Amino acid sequence: MARLGRLRKQSEENTELNMVPIMNMFMVLIPFLLMSAAFYQIKAVNTSIPVHSNAPAPNTPVEKAIKITVVLELKADEVRISALSDQAEPRELAEMETTLARQPGGDMSIVALADFLKRIKTKYPASDTLLLIPDDTVLYREIIQAMDCVRGLESETLFPNVVLSGSLG
Amino acid sequence: MALDKSKRKKKKFVPPGLMLTSMMDMFTIILIFLLFSFSENPEKIDLDKDLELPHSSSKAEYSEGVKLLLSKKELRLNDELIATVSGNEITGLADDAMETSALYQRLKTYKAEEAKPEGESPQAPHVLFLCDQSHSFKTINRVIKTAGLAGYPNFQFAVLEGE
Repeated sequence: MARLGRLRKQSEENTELNMVPIMNMFMVLIPFLLMSAAFYQIKAVNTSIPVHSNAPAPNTPVEKAIKITVVLELKADEVRISALSDQAEPRELAEMETTLARQPGGDMSIVALADFLKRIKTKYPASDTLLLIPDDTVLYREIIQAMDCVRGLESETLFPNVVLSGSLG
Repeated sequence: MALDKSKRKKKKFVPPGLMLTSMMDMFTIILIFLLFSFSENPEKIDLDKDLELPHSSSKAEYSEGVKLLLSKKELRLNDELIATVSGNEITGLADDAMETSALYQRLKTYKAEEAKPEGESPQAPHVLFLCDQSHSFKTINRVIKTAGLAGYPNFQFAVLEGE
């Protein structure tokens, strides 16, 4: 009877979990996850540059919706916006010309720029192309910032086709 | 009698046991962190210390293409050193001599290889452009103009996710 009691006492004492197999599993899982971990996410901004072509223009049917190309000149201290189109009236295009102030080398007025582009997009919803012309001194991060602004958000796309060009003339 | 006393004083030998609880806690935290940063396609692009990509809100994925890297010190084409960069100047890449530059020649070679029938790709050829965020447009423009002249007018600018 006493022996039975001693055995019961011993089994009560040895209730600690054996962690060694779990530790072994962790030691296998951690190197595997380390190999497939992504500590930074690289994404892409699609763009193109204007190309000179001698090929004839394709015969596309005339669309009812007027398409315009917005021209955004990114200067060191200002942003100039204008529009080009062979479908719209020159008077209508002139209405879209504006200049927004910008701190030299600093952030541009994203809100004001986005608001103005939204107004153009509302007026000409078929338009999707923007010609971005930065000054020589404008930094790459500022160009990307401007591209983010003109493309718009996922919920509200503005001008997804951004063409990057040097100063004309 | 003295022997019995010393025998009684001797403690029972207990095998030393490792305290695994704190180690388990640490491993659990590491495991959760790694599970959150798990990616099916871990980045194949190594970013060196001379290359600081700008941040963007773009969600578009990049695709394989000709990789052009413009860091603070070097211009590389598919990991091959093409020119060195000092400030805003890229050696051997002047505005009036783009078609004689090493970059133009190498891009032309890639273009010719892509044009072979067995190398046809469903996508239009493009350049995956990795550029340091501190470069000015003057420097970038020379590189992208040269690529455009060599037959690569489409670009994917590599950026880091986040505002």
